[in-house]
Amino acid sequence: MSLSHTLTLNIPFEDTHQADIAMKVLQPDPILKPQDFEVTYTTTGNSLVASFASIDDRVLRVGVSNVIDSIKTIIETMDEL
Amino acid sequence: MVNLNTVKPRNGRNYYIALGLEGSANKLGVGVIKHPRLVSMSQGDNSHNCDVEILSNIRDTYVTPPGEGFLPRDTARHHRNWVIRIIKQALEKAEIKDPRLDIDVICFTRGPGMGAPLHSVAIAARTCSLIWDVPLVGVNHCVGHIEMGREITKAENPVVLYVSGGNTQVIAYSENRYRIFGETLDVAIGNCLDRFARTLKIPNAPSPGYNIEQLANNCKNKDRLIELPYTVKGMDLSMSGILAYIDSLAKDLFRGNKKNRLIFDRETGEPKITVEDLCYSLQENLFAMLVEITERAMAHVNASQVLIVGGVGSNTRLQEMMGQMCKDRANGRVHATDERFCIDNGVMIAQAGLLQYRMGDYVKDFSETVVTQKFRTDEVYVSWRD
Repeated sequence: MSLSHTLTLNIPFEDTHQADIAMKVLQPDPILKPQDFEVTYTTTGNSLVASFASIDDRVLRVGVSNVIDSIKTIIETMDEL
Repeated sequence: MVNLNTVKPRNGRNYYIALGLEGSANKLGVGVIKHPRLVSMSQGDNSHNCDVEILSNIRDTYVTPPGEGFLPRDTARHHRNWVIRIIKQALEKAEIKDPRLDIDVICFTRGPGMGAPLHSVAIAARTCSLIWDVPLVGVNHCVGHIEMGREITKAENPVVLYVSGGNTQVIAYSENRYRIFGETLDVAIGNCLDRFARTLKIPNAPSPGYNIEQLANNCKNKDRLIELPYTVKGMDLSMSGILAYIDSLAKDLFRGNKKNRLIFDRETGEPKITVEDLCYSLQENLFAMLVEITERAMAHVNASQVLIVGGVGSNTRLQEMMGQMCKDRANGRVHATDERFCIDNGVMIAQAGLLQYRMGDYVKDFSETVVTQKFRTDEVYVSWRD
């Protein structure tokens, strides 16, 4: 099956430096099932762009929600510390 | 020769400060420690004698209702919700004004443990490292326990018994590795105790087996053990069979299954044993197995000291039994820390991580910070010992 279900998230940060940090934090983690789910991170200006592709909507939803959870931690760290 | 002063403290200080983050199971811990830069540290193996000063040690435990265990997803959510607040508290308590200047290294648990909780803490560690521009060190959880135990008890080269909710290992140091002499073949001892506690519907806080220990202390028939399987296999242990057996006994007791002659008296139908008796016998049986393999490891490496670490290590009965065995051997000694350091915490991660950092071994590329559920104690190259 092809990775036909896709989603792109644009997450704005305060500056390019912060967006860059977010990308570096998220990038190292391997995907558990690379044949079912893919994600790539890039930055454009102040924004972090996360592009997801998956075999079905269920896998996509789980994967995206995990990444959003991580992003929440990153943003909280930047805000609080 | 080991030189622990290889890396200079940042910002021209004459001491090192490390921040430790631990979240491999249901405990989230953050600790800040300080090592003075001693001349003695550059002259050989003094890694058990760093003069560590604990500036803060904050912990928050994800507590589940009695009779339930903790699941990875829920535990990870707990850690995510709390990690930043706990870091903030720990920094405040340690009076760290500017982390960019005042912290030498951030240490976090890379494994072993549950994947999702480990990952949620690693994300916070990576972000802190980048926003403060402070190097990272990934620490093996077991090595964290060992190094903290050595530093507190000053035991130079002990045989280490690591007993916790997820691990049961007998470890001895040899040629830059903590080598595993014996371990459990199935469940960990803390897990065995916790699962029995779940059957009894008693809570698992504050440490694995704590409430079973309390019940066992109240046992009135200490002279009469309930017979349980004793499963030592060479240097290894097996505990799942014991757990299944004692679980069935407890269930028969609760259900009032009079057919079970082990529990109920043939004539009167009254129960012959109590929950306290079960707890006592389970502890005696499991701990005897641990003492046996520990003694054999001591004979192998010709050691006279034992260091007990991990959550179950705060059990006084285990310490007592180990003490008896050591006393019977020439000049034997048992070292154990109290619950402050036996139970998972951030300080121990900081201690092991700072030793590694001082040897110049820290993360150069973020791909090294990927957490791993399976991370054997002997995979770590222990550069800080001779």
